[in-house]
Amino acid sequence: MNLAGTFTFAGPRATVWALLHDPAVLAKALPGTKTLTLAGPGRYEGAMKVSIGPLTAAEFAVVVTLSDEIEPSHFAMQIDGKGGVGFAKGSATVDLAEGADGGTVMTYASDIQIGGRIAAVGQRLVESVGRMMMKQALDSLNAELEARVKK
Amino acid sequence: MGANVRVDVTVNGTRHRRDVEPRLLLSDFLRQDLGLTGTHVGCEHGVCGACTILFDGEPARACIMLAAQADGHEILTIESLAAPDGTLNPLQSAFRQAHGLQCGFCTPGMLMTLTAFLRDNPKPDEPQIREAISGNLCRCTGYQHIVHAVQIAAGTRAEDAE
Amino acid sequence: MTRPSFGQRVRRNEDARLLTGRAMFVDDVNLPGMLHVAFVRSMMAHGTLKGIDAAAARQRPGVVAVYTAADLGDYCKPGPVLVNPPPVPGHVFHGCTQLPLAKDKVRYVGEPIAMIVAESRYVAEDALADVIVDIDPIDAVVDLEAALKPGVPLVHPHLESNAAAHVVQRKGDYVAARAKADIVVKRRFLYDRGVAAAIENRAVAVDWDPRAEEMTIWDTTQAPIPIRNGLAKMLGLLESQVRVVAPFVGGGFGPKIMMFYPEELLLPWAAMRLHRPLKWTEDRQENFYATTQERGQVHEAEMALSKDGRILGVRDWFLCDTGAYDPYGLTIPINTQCTLLGPYDIPNYETEFTSVFTNKPIVTPVRGAGRQHGVFVSERLLDIAARELGIDRVEIRKRNLLGPDRFPHNHEIMFQDSAPLVYDSGNYLPTLEQAAEIIGYDKFIREEQPRLRASGKRVGVGICCYVEGTGIGPYEGARVTVEPSGTVRCATGVGTQGQGHFTVLAQIVADALGVGVEDVRVVTGDTREFHWGTGTFASRGAVVAGSACHAAAMSVRGKILDLGSAILGAPADNLELSGGRVKVAGSNDPGIAFGDLAGRANPLRGAVRPGTEPGLESTAYFGPDRGSTASGVHAMIVEVDPETAAVEIKRYLVVHDCGTIINPLLVEGQIHGGVAHGIGNAFFESLVYDDQAQLMNASFMDYLLPTATDVPPIETAHRETPSPFNVLGLKGVGEAGCIPTGAVFAQAVEDALGPGAGVEINEIPMSPNQLFELMHVSGKERA
Repeated sequence: MNLAGTFTFAGPRATVWALLHDPAVLAKALPGTKTLTLAGPGRYEGAMKVSIGPLTAAEFAVVVTLSDEIEPSHFAMQIDGKGGVGFAKGSATVDLAEGADGGTVMTYASDIQIGGRIAAVGQRLVESVGRMMMKQALDSLNAELEARVKK
Repeated sequence: MGANVRVDVTVNGTRHRRDVEPRLLLSDFLRQDLGLTGTHVGCEHGVCGACTILFDGEPARACIMLAAQADGHEILTIESLAAPDGTLNPLQSAFRQAHGLQCGFCTPGMLMTLTAFLRDNPKPDEPQIREAISGNLCRCTGYQHIVHAVQIAAGTRAEDAE
Repeated sequence: MTRPSFGQRVRRNEDARLLTGRAMFVDDVNLPGMLHVAFVRSMMAHGTLKGIDAAAARQRPGVVAVYTAADLGDYCKPGPVLVNPPPVPGHVFHGCTQLPLAKDKVRYVGEPIAMIVAESRYVAEDALADVIVDIDPIDAVVDLEAALKPGVPLVHPHLESNAAAHVVQRKGDYVAARAKADIVVKRRFLYDRGVAAAIENRAVAVDWDPRAEEMTIWDTTQAPIPIRNGLAKMLGLLESQVRVVAPFVGGGFGPKIMMFYPEELLLPWAAMRLHRPLKWTEDRQENFYATTQERGQVHEAEMALSKDGRILGVRDWFLCDTGAYDPYGLTIPINTQCTLLGPYDIPNYETEFTSVFTNKPIVTPVRGAGRQHGVFVSERLLDIAARELGIDRVEIRKRNLLGPDRFPHNHEIMFQDSAPLVYDSGNYLPTLEQAAEIIGYDKFIREEQPRLRASGKRVGVGICCYVEGTGIGPYEGARVTVEPSGTVRCATGVGTQGQGHFTVLAQIVADALGVGVEDVRVVTGDTREFHWGTGTFASRGAVVAGSACHAAAMSVRGKILDLGSAILGAPADNLELSGGRVKVAGSNDPGIAFGDLAGRANPLRGAVRPGTEPGLESTAYFGPDRGSTASGVHAMIVEVDPETAAVEIKRYLVVHDCGTIINPLLVEGQIHGGVAHGIGNAFFESLVYDDQAQLMNASFMDYLLPTATDVPPIETAHRETPSPFNVLGLKGVGEAGCIPTGAVFAQAVEDALGPGAGVEINEIPMSPNQLFELMHVSGKERA
C-alpha cells in the first residue's frame, strides 16, 4: 500500500509539528486508536482497532519509531503493526512547508506492506480504508490545530 | 462474549430449546448441537452454498447466520427430504437417476436450494435452472447432470434419457 | 440370467446415503470430550522466525494446550519425499520438505507455527490472536524467472540457488532435425497457478484409546493406507494399532493425496498426550494457503517442421514452480515432458526443466498434474505452425498422429512412474475425425463462420488432441467375500472422493460372480478393512483397483464353482452363476444360493478338505508394469464480444477413448467435471500474489470458480480402444476433462477474433480482462 498526498493545515508549522508529536492528540485523531503512549525517545506504542471489509474491529499492536527528524520540516517513521488478522509494516516520510496565509503544507508518502488475512480478504479495501483513516486523522488534527490557534 | 441466549427453534418438525453463545453460527448449531451433520460447510463466507437450508421456507446460508437469529423460526435441512423409511423424494431420486452428484458434498445445499426453486417454479427451462443453482458451487459435476436431475424432477426430461 | 453391468448406465450404490445427509464426512465426527484445534500460521511469506510467545494463549480459559516446534522434540522432523525422481541420467533433485511446525524460518504465508488445542473451535481461534510471533522478514521469492537470478534470497539457504531440480530428457537428435526443417516456430508460454478447490476442505479427527492402545484417525486423504503406515512408524505404534479411515471425502482433485500434511502429523501426536479426541477442520481461507496448489510454469518452446506440416522435432525448456517445498518430487514436470508428445509422432525431442523454489504454498499435483502444460505447448505450436504454413488446423494434426499400427509405442523417455513412456494402445485418427464431424468443423469454417462474421459476430472453433497417462502402479489390492447372507463384500485400499468406486468396483465384481450391482457392498478407504495399497491418484482407481477387484472376484468365482461342483455333483464346466446362485446349466434345479454355499464353505463341524481355504473369499493384487494411455479430442465453438472481450461458449465437445467403459454415465460425469475445472483454469481462476508473496484473493468472493451459468452443456462421444495392459482393457478418465481445455480455448478464441486481430493467446488463465487488453494492445500495434 502506498498512501501519499498533501494536506494544508490552517495554522503555523511549529504548532503542526508539535501536534504530530503529541501522543494524546494523535490518539484522538487516529480513528480506532485505543491507546498511544510515548515509550521512549521517538518511539510510540499503542493499540488500534480497525475494521476492513469483512474483518470487523481487528486489533493491532502498533509501534511507530521516528527518525531523521529536522524540526520543524521533516521526519521519517517506521511503522510496525501486528494483530491476529495480519500485519502492516513499512515506512513513511512527512515534510512540512510553510504555506500561504500562515498555513502549513504537509507532504506525505508511505510504503506499507500488508500481510495475513487483511491482505487475503481485505486487499481490495485496504487502500481505501487507509485513505479514509488518513483523511479523518488529518481533518481531526486540523480541527485541533484551529482550536489551538484560536486560543 | 456475553451471556448465552435462548434459542427456540423448530428443525425438521422437531422443536429445540437451547442456550447458546451469541456468536454461535447456525451451521455449527445444526451440525454440532443438534447432530444434523447433513448440512455441510464449504466456505464460511456465504459463497459456496453447501450449507443452504430452508429458513421459514426460503433458502438461507447457515454459515453466515447466527443460531440466535433462528429463535422463533422454522428450519428444514437435508435430513427432512426423504421419507422416514429412507425412501428418496422425487428430487433426490432424480439426482440419482441423472448422476447429479459425485462427491456429494455440495449436494445438500443444491437440494435445499432446488426444493424451494421447484416449489416456486415447477416447470423451469434450462437457463432458469442454471440461474437457480448459480449460487451453489460444485467442483465435481460440471453442473450438467444436476440440470438433468432438475429436469427429471420437473417432468421435462425422461428418467432414462442419455 | 443376471445381465452384465459393463457398459450400462448403472446408477450409483452410494447415492442414497449422500442424498439424505447420512453419509459421513470427516468433519461429521463428533466424539464426547472432543477438543478442537486451530493453527497459528505465518503471515509472512519469507522470514527468520525469531520467537513465539504463547504465554497469553495458554492462559486463555478453554485453551488446553499450545504446542510449538520446541514442544515436539524429535517428532519435529522434515517429512518424506513421497515420489523419488525417476532414474533419468544426470538429473539433479534437491528434496526439501517441511517440518510439522516451523522452526527458525518460515517459507510461505500459511506455514504452521503453533498448534492450539481448546474446548471449542471458537476458543481455539480466539487464542490465535494471543500468540505473538516475531518474524524478521526476508524478501520473498515470487517470480519464477527472477528466483534464479544471482543475489536473490534463498528459500533454502543450504542450497546454492533456488533451483530444486534439473532434468534433461532427449529422444533422437533435435539439433540435426532442426537443421533440416523448413520452418521453426518458437514461442514463450505461461500457465499459472490455481487451487484444487474441493468443496470439502481438509479435516483430521483422532481418537486415541489409551487402554486398548488403539488409534483411529479420520482423514480427508486420498491415501489412507500410506498415512496409516507412516503415522504408525512415526508414533512408535504397530500398524495394526492405527486405523485410518477416509470416509466420504468431498472431492480430492490431487491435493488430498499429499502427505504428510502437518495437521495429519500433529493431531495424532497430541491425542496421545492429551488422552482426548481431537478434531481440526480447515477453513476455506486456510485452504488457500495450507493445502497444496499447482500449475505455475514458464515455457520457451520451439517446433521444427517440414513444409508439408510434419513435425521433425520439438525442443522445450521450462521452469516449474514447486512452491516452498518439493515433497512430490518431479511428478508434475515429468508429466509435462511426457504429455507434450501427445498423440503425435515426434521423432526428435529435447526437453529440459528446472524446478524452482518460491515463497508460495507447496505445489503437488492437481487434476491434470502438469499434463495440461505439455498439451498447451504442443497444441499451440501446432496452431502457429499451421497458420504459418497455410495448412488447416485439423489437417496438420492428422498428418502427425501416430497410426494404429504403431502400438505399443515407446517414446524413449522416462514417465513419472519410473518406467519408460510407452503408449499401450490407441486409435487417434478416427477420434479426431469423429470430433471434427460432430462439431461440424468443415461446414463451420466454410459456411457458418464467414456468414456470421459478415453479420459482425466473432465466432470461432477450436479443436485439440491430447493423451493422458493413467492407471500407473505400483499396485492395489482387493478382497472379495461372499457373506452367509449372500451379500458380496469387496474391500479395497483406495479411498473414494466421488468417482463412484462403490458402483464401478461393484460392477466389476457383480459381472464376475453373476450377481446384481446392488448386491455388492464395496468398502473403501478404511485400513481396518484392507490395508495394502497406495491411493487414488493419476486416474488409476478403476484401472488398478478395478483390475485387483476383478482378479479377486474371479478367484472367488473359482471357489464357488469348485464347491458347487462337489455339492451338485456336476463338473464345474457345466455350472453357471446367475442371480446369486450356482446351478447346473440348463437344469430346472434352482441350485444353491451363494449365501448357503458360503455357510457350507465355513462349517462349524465336519471336515474342510485339505488344501482348501474356509469361506468364499479371495484377495488379489494388481500391479501394472506401466500405465495405460487414454486419449481424446476436445472441440469448442465460441463467440467473443469485440467490445467487452467476454467469451461465450456455444458448444463444447469431448470425444474420448478410455479403453473399455465400465459405466458411461459415470465417465460422462468425470468428463463434465474435468471440463468445468479446465474452463475455470482457462477463464476465471487465478491466484494473485503481491511482490511479497501475499495472496490477495483468498476467498471464493475473489477467486472465481465456474458456476452453473459459466459451464456450457458438454457433448460427449465414447470410443473404446482396450488397453492390453490389463485384463478388462481399462484406461483412466479422471483427469481427461481438464487437460486440453486451455489449448482448445486459446485456439477457438483466436479463431473467433480472426487473423486480422493479431491476437495470440500464449498464456493461461486468460481472463476477459486480460483478453481485452490483448485485443487492445494488438489493435494499437497494428495501428
